[in-house]
Amino acid sequence: MSAGTRRARRSGRTPARRLASAAVVAALCVGLTAASGAAQPQRSAAGITVYAAASLTQAFPVIAPGNTYSFAGSNTLEAQIANGAPADVFASANTSIPAAMYAQGLIEKPVDFTRNTLVIVVPKSNPAGIHSIYDLTKPGVSIDIANSAVPVGSYTLQVWNQMGLTSALMPNVVSQETDVTTVLSKIASNQADAGFVYSTDAETVPTQVTVIPVPAWAQPKVVYAMAVVTKSPNQAAAQAFVNQVLSASGQAVMRKFGFLPLTAPVPAIAAVKPLQTKRGGTVTLTGTNFSGTTSVTIAGVAAMFKVVSSGKIVLTVPPKAKSGAITVTNPNGNAISIKKITIGA
Amino acid sequence: MVATTPPAAVPRRASPTARMLLTLGFFLLVLTTLAFIALPIVAIFVHVAPSTLLHELTNPLVLDALVVSAKTTLISQALILVFGTATAYFLASRRFRGRSLAITLIELPIVLPPAAAGLGLLVAFGRVGLLGSTFDALGINVAFNQAAVVLAVTFVAGPFYVRQGIAAFESVDETMVAASRTLGAGPLRTFSRVTVPLAAGGLAAGQAIAMARGLGEFGATIMFAGSLQGRTQTLPLAVYYAFELPNGLDVALAISAILTLVSLAILLTAKVISGSYLFRRGTGRNPTVALD
Repeated sequence: MSAGTRRARRSGRTPARRLASAAVVAALCVGLTAASGAAQPQRSAAGITVYAAASLTQAFPVIAPGNTYSFAGSNTLEAQIANGAPADVFASANTSIPAAMYAQGLIEKPVDFTRNTLVIVVPKSNPAGIHSIYDLTKPGVSIDIANSAVPVGSYTLQVWNQMGLTSALMPNVVSQETDVTTVLSKIASNQADAGFVYSTDAETVPTQVTVIPVPAWAQPKVVYAMAVVTKSPNQAAAQAFVNQVLSASGQAVMRKFGFLPLTAPVPAIAAVKPLQTKRGGTVTLTGTNFSGTTSVTIAGVAAMFKVVSSGKIVLTVPPKAKSGAITVTNPNGNAISIKKITIGA
Repeated sequence: MVATTPPAAVPRRASPTARMLLTLGFFLLVLTTLAFIALPIVAIFVHVAPSTLLHELTNPLVLDALVVSAKTTLISQALILVFGTATAYFLASRRFRGRSLAITLIELPIVLPPAAAGLGLLVAFGRVGLLGSTFDALGINVAFNQAAVVLAVTFVAGPFYVRQGIAAFESVDETMVAASRTLGAGPLRTFSRVTVPLAAGGLAAGQAIAMARGLGEFGATIMFAGSLQGRTQTLPLAVYYAFELPNGLDVALAISAILTLVSLAILLTAKVISGSYLFRRGTGRNPTVALD
């Protein structure tokens, strides 16, 4: 037995023990390499990583269940992607953030994929008795909004500016959140008197909040845009997801959750009955996209009207009416009847 | 022929190579640890030019956050001093059934995740919380204003002071206290002229840690008080907000630089105070002041 072996035996480091410790070290090395390998972006067959605006939390996983989703304020996601977050697709609640990111080369050319409506929500108990946006100017009312860097926060300020209410409403703002879902949960849990969110958010907690609409003429153009992230290693799968959202089935899912279709519906008049009537009489219009009609005129004279359904309007011929074409107007445009009606005495 | 003694049981010494490798290994470990801690802190100051950092200090976002942080920190530190000292002294000097339970309860916010703490404060003192209707009736509005920030900061930072205070009071030499009483000083005079000065080193260190913790509080504040520039947006909340603004990285870095420097100042002050008190006054039996 050599002196070395004697030394080893005395210290307990038998050949078997040494082999074992060498094996442990080798296993650790393999493990560490595998772990660091796993940290590299993978070509994933299972699903891609989608960074999407918080208001898309319910809809997107229904469109494509297999993906990994990260929902937050669109500007938060922008900051994360700019700092290297591993997103394959980015979907924002506005068009300006994607446009800026496209200019910086962070994403491909963005495409609009849905629209939404800004609304006011109040807790079910409505402690401050809010029934319109003007009630929010009362002193002591607490308003919760998202901060101006978040799309919904900027839309809110757009509405306030449009209505000239900014200086009246700002003093009542108690907090500026980082995403729309935080605003919603603060109102749903009755922490504040009113909040500004999307109509789609309000629909997720119908028993906890009441919706108060924003006047149609002050409604901002809320358009969502999305794009594939340029650094994504799953370009094909990412583009496939974008196409899926834009497809008929994807758009149907968005509508189911309350989002508006991409093309803003303009009214269309199919028929006018009767074509001859007198002042005070009623005329029935049939057509499409009549919901949301803001005015009906006969030869420029405004008539009282009732929207019976999205396909039917009943109007009353006003006292000063003249014969002429009927015009139906909504926030997206108008329709003029082909046939003119004749007003007798 | 020389009689060779068989290799006796000499203490087995590692070969020089092994010893060198071991020393090198330790050296690398320590170096890695120091580098890991130092890199993020240094990066805050060197990622953008110092002139940019200084320029951002004039940003209203930064100034508003400074004011909010300063005000709320001062008020909460005053509350912590008053309530914390009394509590620490009581717990240090009395033995009663449930004492360890009380101490564990006081220490709980130290380990409680701040978001959970914020939520707890919300459902206790918020509008629809346990005490919400009582506060409403009394006309007190706690939510979404600086009172909420003060409450959140006091909740998470106070226990640091109380824990340190208990240790400080316990280390006061009882013979000094007894001597003071036998010499005719009343309990209040003994407390203020003998006990507190003897415990002052530990108390000051505790206050420093509580201040540093309170200054950095984020989770509980954003949950309970919300975030509004000029009212409830403290420095840490402002970092978060600024980072998410377009081109907001510079502002976020400037605020982080301020926070780093202030924290460093607090830490150094704490070390100086506790060190000087140890040398000058002596705290009696166990002069160990842990800055943990």
